[in-house]
Amino acid sequence: MNKNEQQQKMRETAARLLDAGEAAYVIGFGETRFPEKTSILFAHNAEEADRFVWNDACVQSLAKYLLEDRFADYRVGIFARGCESRAINRMIKDNQFKRDHVHILGIPCEGVNAKRCASCAVHNPVVYDELLWDAVPEPNPETARFARAEAVEAMGPEERYAYWSDVYSRCIRCYACRQACPVCSCRECYVDMDRQGFQGKRHSVSDNQTFGVTRAFHVADRCIECGECERVCPMGLPILGQTQKIIKDITQLSGDYQAGMNAEDGNFLGAFDLDDKDDFM
Amino acid sequence: MAIDKTAGTAPGAMIGLSADGTEASAPKILAFCCNWCTYTGADLAGLNRMKYPANVRVVRVPCSGRVNPQFILRAFQKGADGVMVCGCHPGDCHYATGNYFTRRRFMLMRNLLEFNGIDPKRFHARWISGSEAAKFRDTIAEVAAQVSALGPNTRYREER
Repeated sequence: MNKNEQQQKMRETAARLLDAGEAAYVIGFGETRFPEKTSILFAHNAEEADRFVWNDACVQSLAKYLLEDRFADYRVGIFARGCESRAINRMIKDNQFKRDHVHILGIPCEGVNAKRCASCAVHNPVVYDELLWDAVPEPNPETARFARAEAVEAMGPEERYAYWSDVYSRCIRCYACRQACPVCSCRECYVDMDRQGFQGKRHSVSDNQTFGVTRAFHVADRCIECGECERVCPMGLPILGQTQKIIKDITQLSGDYQAGMNAEDGNFLGAFDLDDKDDFM
Repeated sequence: MAIDKTAGTAPGAMIGLSADGTEASAPKILAFCCNWCTYTGADLAGLNRMKYPANVRVVRVPCSGRVNPQFILRAFQKGADGVMVCGCHPGDCHYATGNYFTRRRFMLMRNLLEFNGIDPKRFHARWISGSEAAKFRDTIAEVAAQVSALGPNTRYREER
């Protein structure tokens, strides 16, 4: 099935879903004035569903938009690739909504963006209500899973500090990383609280750095490694390295760890084991 | 150790400046101590007139699980040269399980700090029970010696 046929199938399925009243609207990709860009399209009826597109410009993660309507008493349809399905699992695990709040239209995907999808290891949705076309073979990512973290780990302490200072000296604190992250689900983020004392609001390297480390630690064990934070960063900062480092450490302690592969597991910091090592102490 | 009663009242003393406005050379160590074990241990060290370096500033927290990793970053920003998180030994937590969460959290945090270029000798997590006054004294001495050897921390420091 080529992408045009897949697009047709997506439109038909969404139209069927909306006609049957199984979902109030379906979240997918729509056209913009620019051929290389797509926007998010919320289709409320079959006519609107005919405007869904599916091409290599569909780089955004749709999952974040589910949080807009997390308390609704109607169901919401969404197209989900591997990354979105993991995000949905994570949201269910975080009690953002119940599983039957979403109707997941699984769309196996072979990667759309060379940069973001280079280290993707999950092409097929891990949770769905229906799969629109046959699953694709899971890839052997060209880029190692923790490539960014390992590159920084290889440096010496001075160099590492210089590296991150340089990265965060360019940070403009637009919080796009927070905005795009599918697991940043707090109703009010700590950086937006004006009377919250322990995050400086100034635009300085020190405050930027603490913001960066804190953001990474907030998503920590919940990060699904989709790379949205890096993709949306207007300054192009390699911030996924921070969360990669945390996941790498978790992997070393508790074996293979991938957040969002199902809606039950994946609660490293919110749980404990009596036999956890404390040799770092 | 003699107590300099004027030290606390001198202008700037609270933010680590000596009377002439330059930075005090002694390292500042911030210790988050759990109310039920380490704080009691520190209290016992005091009752027994044990001597330990005066570089440590103790912050009493209800449980080591109360310590948010952001506190560590904030301490470095505000001028701490070393930070400690101390709590009850595993199995002894007043709230039964608080320190187990601390253990996981600060294992990751310590590695993340190291990853960001902060020397791991500047951050310590320790289990010190209410009866371990000597361990409290020894730990403070050990950490103070390590941090002194590293010199003042400039990383993450807020520009004034």
